[in-house]
Formats: sequence, structure tokens, C-alpha cells
Amino acid sequence: MTYAYLFKYIIIGDTGVGKSCLLLQFTDKRFQPVHDLTIGVEFGARMVNIDGKQIKLQIWDTAGQESFRSITRSYYRGAAGALLVYDITRRETFNHLTSWLEDARQHSSSNMVIMLIGNKSDLESRRDVKREEGEAFAREHGLIFMETSAKTACNVEEAFINTAKEIYRKIQQGLFDVHNEANGIKIGPQQSISTSLGPSVSQRNCRDVASNSGCC
Amino acid sequence: MNFLRGVMGGQSAGPQHTEAETIQKLCDRVASSTLLDDRRNAVRALKSLSKKYRLEVGIQAMEHLIHVLQTDRSDSEIIGYALDTLYNIISNDEEEEVEENSTRQSEDLGSQFTEIFIKQQENVTLLLSLLEEFDFHVRWPAVKLLTSLLKQLGPQVQQIILVSPQLYVPGVSRLMDLLADSREVIRNDGVLLLQALTRSNGAIQKIVAFENAFERLLDIITEEGNSDGGIVVEDCLILLQNLLKNNNSNQNFFKEGSYIQRMKPWFEVGDDNSGWSAQKVTNLHLMLQLVRVLVSPNNPPGATSSCQKAMFQCGLLQQLCTILMATGVPADILTETINTVSEVIRGCQVNQDYFASVNAPSNPPRNRPAIVVLLMSMVNERQPFVLRCAVLYCFQCFLYKNQKGQGEIVSTLLPSTIDATGNSVSAGQLLCGGLFSTDSLSNWCAAVALAHALQENATQKEQLLRVQLATSIGNPPVSLLQQCTNILSQGSKIQTRVGLLMLLCTWLSSCPIAVTHFLHNSANVPFLTGQIAENLGEEEQLVQGLCALLLGISIYFNDNSLESCMKEKLKQLIEKRIGKENFIEKLGFISKHELYSRASQKPQPNFPSPEYMIFDHEFTKLVKELEGVITKAIYKSSEEDQKEEEVKKTLEQHDSIVTHYKNMIREQDLQLEELRQQVSTLKCQNEQLQTAVTQQAAQIQQHRDQYNLLKVQLGKDSHHQGSYSNGAQMNGIQPEEIDRLREEIEKLKSNQEVLQSQLIEKESLIENLKSSQTSGMDQQFSAPASDGDSEQAAELKLELATLKSQLNSQSVEITNLQAEKQELLQKTETFAKSVPVQGDSETLAIAAKTTDVEGRLSALLEETKELKNEIKALSEEKTAIKEQLDSSNSTIAILQNEKDKLESEITDSRKEQDDLLVLLAEQDQKIVSLKKRLKDLGYPIVEEDEVESGDQEDEDDENEEADKDQDSI
Repeated sequence: MTYAYLFKYIIIGDTGVGKSCLLLQFTDKRFQPVHDLTIGVEFGARMVNIDGKQIKLQIWDTAGQESFRSITRSYYRGAAGALLVYDITRRETFNHLTSWLEDARQHSSSNMVIMLIGNKSDLESRRDVKREEGEAFAREHGLIFMETSAKTACNVEEAFINTAKEIYRKIQQGLFDVHNEANGIKIGPQQSISTSLGPSVSQRNCRDVASNSGCC
Repeated sequence: MNFLRGVMGGQSAGPQHTEAETIQKLCDRVASSTLLDDRRNAVRALKSLSKKYRLEVGIQAMEHLIHVLQTDRSDSEIIGYALDTLYNIISNDEEEEVEENSTRQSEDLGSQFTEIFIKQQENVTLLLSLLEEFDFHVRWPAVKLLTSLLKQLGPQVQQIILVSPQLYVPGVSRLMDLLADSREVIRNDGVLLLQALTRSNGAIQKIVAFENAFERLLDIITEEGNSDGGIVVEDCLILLQNLLKNNNSNQNFFKEGSYIQRMKPWFEVGDDNSGWSAQKVTNLHLMLQLVRVLVSPNNPPGATSSCQKAMFQCGLLQQLCTILMATGVPADILTETINTVSEVIRGCQVNQDYFASVNAPSNPPRNRPAIVVLLMSMVNERQPFVLRCAVLYCFQCFLYKNQKGQGEIVSTLLPSTIDATGNSVSAGQLLCGGLFSTDSLSNWCAAVALAHALQENATQKEQLLRVQLATSIGNPPVSLLQQCTNILSQGSKIQTRVGLLMLLCTWLSSCPIAVTHFLHNSANVPFLTGQIAENLGEEEQLVQGLCALLLGISIYFNDNSLESCMKEKLKQLIEKRIGKENFIEKLGFISKHELYSRASQKPQPNFPSPEYMIFDHEFTKLVKELEGVITKAIYKSSEEDQKEEEVKKTLEQHDSIVTHYKNMIREQDLQLEELRQQVSTLKCQNEQLQTAVTQQAAQIQQHRDQYNLLKVQLGKDSHHQGSYSNGAQMNGIQPEEIDRLREEIEKLKSNQEVLQSQLIEKESLIENLKSSQTSGMDQQFSAPASDGDSEQAAELKLELATLKSQLNSQSVEITNLQAEKQELLQKTETFAKSVPVQGDSETLAIAAKTTDVEGRLSALLEETKELKNEIKALSEEKTAIKEQLDSSNSTIAILQNEKDKLESEITDSRKEQDDLLVLLAEQDQKIVSLKKRLKDLGYPIVEEDEVESGDQEDEDDENEEADKDQDSI
């Protein structure tokens, strides 16, 4: 299958927040209720459509455990997008966001799009972190925000696609060097260089990241 | 450190001593000299000594060398020497040149020094940071040193690199940049470094893949000319294998990254026999192995099948099949290609179908399927053993989960389809030929191949029973099954018998008809019992086991259709002739065989030599499945058996009952559904009817209400004088209408008032103007236009008067209207009165009356309409009046304008006057001065003096008047 662009994502966040489940829901459209600890990293891929363009998403799902942290660090540099996930029913996973973000900012390229995700929105009765807190954190750090449920698939698709849209927007603005694969972006085989360079004239500041919210 | 002493002691003391001293001196210089040149020279000297005196330099200088790496980074030369020296100490590569040390010792030496070096993790980190230096003299030895560290103590060094606390670029990512180095030596050694780095470490493999290793390696392979490339291609392929083997995540990534498509050109090898260099063979071997890594039967089924599909879609399989059928391909490449094709098609219907359609190229073109050509090699003794095994594997993979393929193969044996002309050989003929040839390997291969055509396929097991063989001219044809047992009983080579027994076991399992066929030959059971019961040597144990298995299958899958060989009878036979314990023990020989577990591991028939060719992978699965159940069946007593039979029967009965009930339930379900639908339609109808009823009831109620109302009104009318309100009640519309009319009249009145007040204002304005004009006329400069003004005013007055009269007439009309309205009201009253005074009358009469009343009402309505029209006309007149007023207003405005103009003219003329006065004053002064002079000159001038004073008085008067004028304005 041909594609216009290829984006590399990583999924990060504390252990047990549902990173692998988000990926599984996105790639296979199913939910696995049993927590199977991720060792190192696992790979998944899917094609999405943004603005009528086929975009291939390659996603690396990392292990949340502290012992794998140094391995995870190796993946920041080559990623165009990151899903930073916490569990809305466990406050400590929200409290650790700062340290995850620090890691991400330190090791990634400055343009990496980070999507903050409050997962397990189906467990409203056990909620421990208010949606407003997530929104505030995202606003403060210039992230996109969404609450999702890997179990009910609510907003899962949107989370991955909105991240892709943001990356695509940055490409349009010329903020990403699409020819440097270290940025986690690759032009598809059938794309000619002229079309990919087309809209990269305007070099605007892009801190105006819109805060997103969905059905949850 | 004992061995160190041993090594030192083992050498002659003299030179050793001096060298040790020299090294010590050099180390001292490295450590203490303040001059860089000095230190550099010392390190260079150490380097030159490091190969020959590896141990001494290593022990004494390592610390100092590391220190140099830390402190002298600015000088690439000294860093280069230090790295080279360390490499010489740690590496075992240049082993052969140092003839004094034995291999084992030096290996120990390398790992010992490595251990010392990596004890301080910072040293590895330091080395990683040195890799960032672009200078060739630093980067290259750094790459080599790190590679040899990884070779010595892979896991430990890998761990350090993995967790190295690199702030911005993690260790592994840093190493990936080596592949992008433009200097070929560094890039190539970078590949070797990554090979050592990725060896059996999944985490690092994944990171390396994440860092686009696939892309870069495939690029390098393409650049170097694919399989025609040199050793770099080989190194890249080995690295790719490291990354993909047993790493599902990376395999998935490889597939998703569309890299399989990029493998296809690897196999575009021409037919020319010239280009088969050793390097090319090695490269192609690795390429084929890489394909197999992706479709290995040990991978998760989903992963393998998606890779298989991709390989077909991109034409990789087709390319491989071309190699398969090409001429001049070296045997080992051909063998590996066959194995590769096998795994690409295994269990994948599309690929299997394609493979079945592949034809061998021939001149002239003939229909020679590749499968047939391959089978010919399998049953050909002269072909290499590995090739024959590969063909068998290919055939097995072609039939694996391929019922269609199985059917096609079996059908070539059936009487109806055998090509009588003998023009071309069929797969079936080849297999039969192999089965009964004198070559035991062919026997085994053909038997196993045929067994795979029957695997899990009950239809083909029955079909194969139909096969008849013409053994020799004159004799009646023998069934294939019979022929197999015949050969078995002739006692041939072990491989032949094992092969045939495996075929028979597969054939008979889960196929009671085949069991009956088998038992029908009365010689078979005695032969089997004889084989099992005999006390034979160890080499015969396996055959005994297989015979036991076959007998067990004959019992377990026996449907008791043959009276002489019913389950019970066979079991008794075992009891009598062999003994249950003995039978089970013999049965156990199979799975206890040393080659059994080997075969059960992998589907590929991969034997180091022909004598190991005993078990087939699929057969081991069958044994696992049946061993337990047969043991159980043998131990079970006849009563238990009977009980089981009964249970089975009752179960069957139960089953039939259940199915009966199921059907019943299904029918009832259908009925229920029908009834439900009926109910719903009925409900619908019911609802409709009910709404109709309620509507009708409401209508009736309305009628009743109307009736009651009329009744009451009639009663009232008859008893009291009908009042206006009563009349109004008769028809709700009328009073509203009247109210509205009243309101309109009210509005008109108020409008009129407003207009009148406006008129009054205007009049007063005109009055004002008039007065001002008259005052203006009193002035000295009276304009002729003022007469016109007054005339206009008079006109206006006239107009106003007419307007007034019009207004008056309008108000008269309005009063008329009011009067009319009053009349109307009275009429309605009279109408109300005129309602016939009757007591209780019948509904009909009332209805008639109602219509009567309604008619009158409509007349009334018409009248009101007329009135409305009149009102409209009135209001139109009113607007006309308004317009007239407006026009008069505008004439007033014009008049005012004119007046203003006049006034401005007046002021102008006054100004002129003033100017004249000033001139006069000046001239007067002149005259006075002249007079003075004249006086001075003594000229008497009396008269003129008097005249002057009089003039002056006049002027004063005039001034006063002008002031007055100004005041009046």
C-alpha cells in the first residue's frame, strides 16, 4: 500500500495506564482486559487518512516500568509524535507526567507533537483525576489533550488521528524537515519532492495548540 | 591472576625484564610528562609494543591509556594511538601473528582485559562519545575497539550501552549514525559493530530497527549490487538476520515498512552460469535464509501468513520459483531455494495454488508441472540427499492445510484419471514408483509424501482405497493398501518399513472404512501380532512400536463391521498373544526413540545423514494424539466397553431427542414470530380505531356543547330582554370586530389631534414670521419681496382654512362613522332581540335558527367590512391633508430663506455705509488739518467751520440710528 507520509509515534506513560491496549484498539479494534506487561517495546502500524492523504502510522508501544526507562529513551529521538498516557483512576500516574514530559522534551526533537491522554474514561465511578486538571496540564505545557477509553474505543481513533493532523499541520508550515528521517517522518514512495515542499513557505510560530475534547 | 604469572614465567627473563622496564618508563612518561608531544610519542611507542607484549602493555598501560582518552581529547593523534593500543590489547583478531601464545590463553587475555576495561562503565560511555569525533583516526579505532569489546563480553557491554546515561543521544542511536558515514571503511566496520551489538539482544535489535536500520541496510545492499556485492552485503545480511530472527516486533515492522518488496530484486539472478562466485553463493544463501526467517513455521501464524501474502503480492515467490526452474543454479542454492519456497507457500492457499500452477520451462513447451519435476528428483537416488529432503519438505508444505492440493494429488492415482497414453508422468505415478522402488530412501520419502496427501482429510483416505495396482502381467490387480502390507511383510530395510507403517497409521486413523479394508485381509492381524510379540533386537523395537500403533488404531477406529475382527476380539487377541502390559510397552517405544523428539521440533525434514531419516514431523503429532487414547482403549474391559457403547447409544438417542426438540423449538419460534407480528398489526389497528372513536366522541361533545349553548341562549332570550352582550355572545367574532373598529376610530381621533396640534404650531410659526416680517418692513431698507411674503402668508392662511374645513368635514365624517357604528351596535341588539322567543324546541329547529343567525351575522360582517372601507377612505384623505400641510410647511421654509437673504443684504449695505463714514471722517480730518494750516498761514475761514460742525452732528445721528437698527434685528 502506498502512502503520502509515514509518521513514527511512541506511546509513553506509567505502567498499567493502558498504552498497549490503546495500540491494540487502534490497530486491531479489540480490547484485551488482562494486563500483559510489555517487555521493552512492541510495534504496531495502521494507515489513516488526513485531508484525503494516506498516512502510515508506525507506533512503538513502550514499557511503562521504571526499569525500561532507559530503553524507552532511545525511542524519543526518532519519533514525530508521542502519546503521553495517564490513568484517570490513579492520581499517581497523573503526578508522574512531569517527569515523563521532562524525559520526552530532553530526548526528542523540539517539534515532536505530544498528545496527553487520560485513559480509562469508561471508569467514571472510580475517577481520581478531573478532566479539567488534564486540560490545565495540557494547556500549561502546550500539549493536545483528550480523554479516551481503550475498552470502549471512545476517542482512541481520534487521539491517534488528531496527533497525525497536528504533525501534518506542522509539515504544512514547514516546521518539520521531512527529508531528515531522524524526525520520525518519511515521504511516501510515490510522493514527488515538489509536492512535499509546496506549502513549507510560511514559517509561523506554532504554540497555539488547540485543546481538544471529545465524547468522554 | 595466576595465569598472568604463568605467562610471564614461561618466557625468558632477560628480554622480558628489559621490555617490562621500557613499558614502565613509557607509562611513566605518559602519566607525568607535561608536553603533549612527549606523551604522544610515548603512547605511539606503547602501541608498537602492544602486539608483541600484549600482556605487559595491558597490565601496565591500560589505566594510563584510559586517562589519555579522558584528558587529551583535543589531540586526535594521541587518542588514535591510545585506541589502537587498547584494541591490540583487547582484541584476539590478530592472533595468528603472535605465535608464542596459545589460542586459549589469548582468548582469556582478551576477555580479562575487557572485564577490566568495562568495570568502569564510564569507559564505555567515553568510547561512545569518542565515536562522535568525525576524525578518521579517532572514529575508526573507536569502532574497532567497541566491536571487540562486544565480541569479548557481549551481554555485559550491551547492557552498559543500553542504559548508558547519555543526555541527548542514547548510546544505540549514536552507533546507528555509523551506517551513514561516507567513509566506506567506517561504514563497513560500523556494520560489524552493529552485528556484535545486536547479537541476541531483543531490546537493542528493536532500537536499531527503530533507527531506520532496515532502510539503510537495504540501501547499502542495493548500492553494492545485491547478491553480486562483496562481503559488505554479506555483513549487512547477517545484521538483518540478527535483527529479524525470533523478533516478532521487528518482523512486523519489516513487513509494515514494505521492506519485503525490496527483497524481490535480490533474486533476479540471470540464467548465465558465469556469475556464481563463492561470495554470490554466500550472499544468496543469506538472502534466502532471511526470507525464511520471515515465514518460519515457528513464527506466530498471523505474522507468517501476512508475510506470505506480501511475498506473493510483490512477486517474490514468483521470482523464487524462477530460480527453482532455472538451469545452472548451484545445488546448495537450489536446495535452499526449494526450502524457502516451501515455507513461503506453507499453509497459504493462494501461494499453494500459485505453486501448483508453476510449470517447468521446456522446449517444445509441454505441460510439466514443477511439482512433478521436483518429485522426480525426490525419488531419484542420484540426487543429493539434502535436495531430496528439500523436495519432500516442499511437497509437504504444498499439501499442508490444502485439501484441494491433496485431492489433486490423490486423483492422479485413481483409475479414471490415469493417463493411459503414458505421455507424461503424474505425481501419483511417481509416488507409487517411489513407494515400491528398491531404494529405501525413495520408499520412505514417497510413503511420507503420500501420508501428507491424506493428512486430516477423510475424503482422500477413502478415495485412496480405490487405487488398484497392476503388479505383473497375468496376475489380478492388487489394492494399494494390500501392496503396502505385502511389502511390509517381506521384511525389507528399516526405512522402508517405518515409512510404510507411518503411511498406514495415517491412512487408518479416523477412517473406519480403511480399518475394515485393512482387517479384511486375514494375514494382516497375525503379522502385526507376530511382529509385536516377538522378542527382537533393539533395532527392531521401533518397528514393533509402530506395529503396535497400527494394531491399536485398528482397534480404536474399529466400527465392528467385520465380525471376525470386532474390537473385543482384537483385544482378546492382544491379551492372549502379547499381553496388555507388553503391548503398551512396545507402543511406548515410538515416543521414546531419540529421533522422535528431534522430528517433533520442526516441520522441516532436516537430517544430518540418510540413516537419521526415520520420523516425519506430522507423524509425531499423530502419535502424541493417539498414544493415550489407544492405551486407554486397550486397558478398558469389555464391560466397560459395552457400557461405553451403551452410553454412546444413549448419547446418540439423546442427541436425536435433542435435535427433535431443537426442531420443535425452531418451529415454535417461527410460530411465535408470526403471532407476534399478528399481535403488532392488531395493536396498530386497535390504536387507529381508538383514535377514530375519540375523535368522534369529541365531535359529539362539541355538538352537544353547541346544542346546550344554543338551548341556554334561547332560554335566556325568551326570558329576558336580549342584551347587547348576549347578542355578542352569540357570535364571538362580532364584538371583537367592533372592538377593533373602536380602536381604529380611537387611533384616527388621536391622529387627528396630533395633526391639529401640528397645525396650531404651524400657525403660530407663521404668525411669528409675519410679525418679524412686519418689523422688518419697518426698517429703513424695506425689500419689495416682503409684500410677496405677506401675500404668500395670506395664501397659506387660506389653505389652512381649507385644511381646517377639510378637517372639520373629516371629523364630521368620523362622527358619522361613529353614529353608523352605533347604529350597527343597535342593529346587533335588535338582532339579538329579534331572535325568536321560543321555549324548548327541537334540535332541528335550533339548527335552522342557528343558520338563520349565522346568515344575519354574515350580513353584519359585510356591513363592518363596508365600514372598514369607509375608514380606509378617511385615513387616505387624512394623509392627503398631511401632505398639504407638509407643502405649506415647505413654502414657509422658503419664505424664511428669503427673509434671511434680505437681512444679509441689509447688513451688507450697512457695512458699506460704515466704510463711507470712515472715509468721510478721514476727509474731515484732512480738511481740519488743512484749515489749521490755513489758519496758521493767517487765512480766515469761519463759514466752513460752522458747516463742518453741523455735518458732524448729522453723522452722529446717523450712527445712532444704525445702532438702533442693529438692536432691532
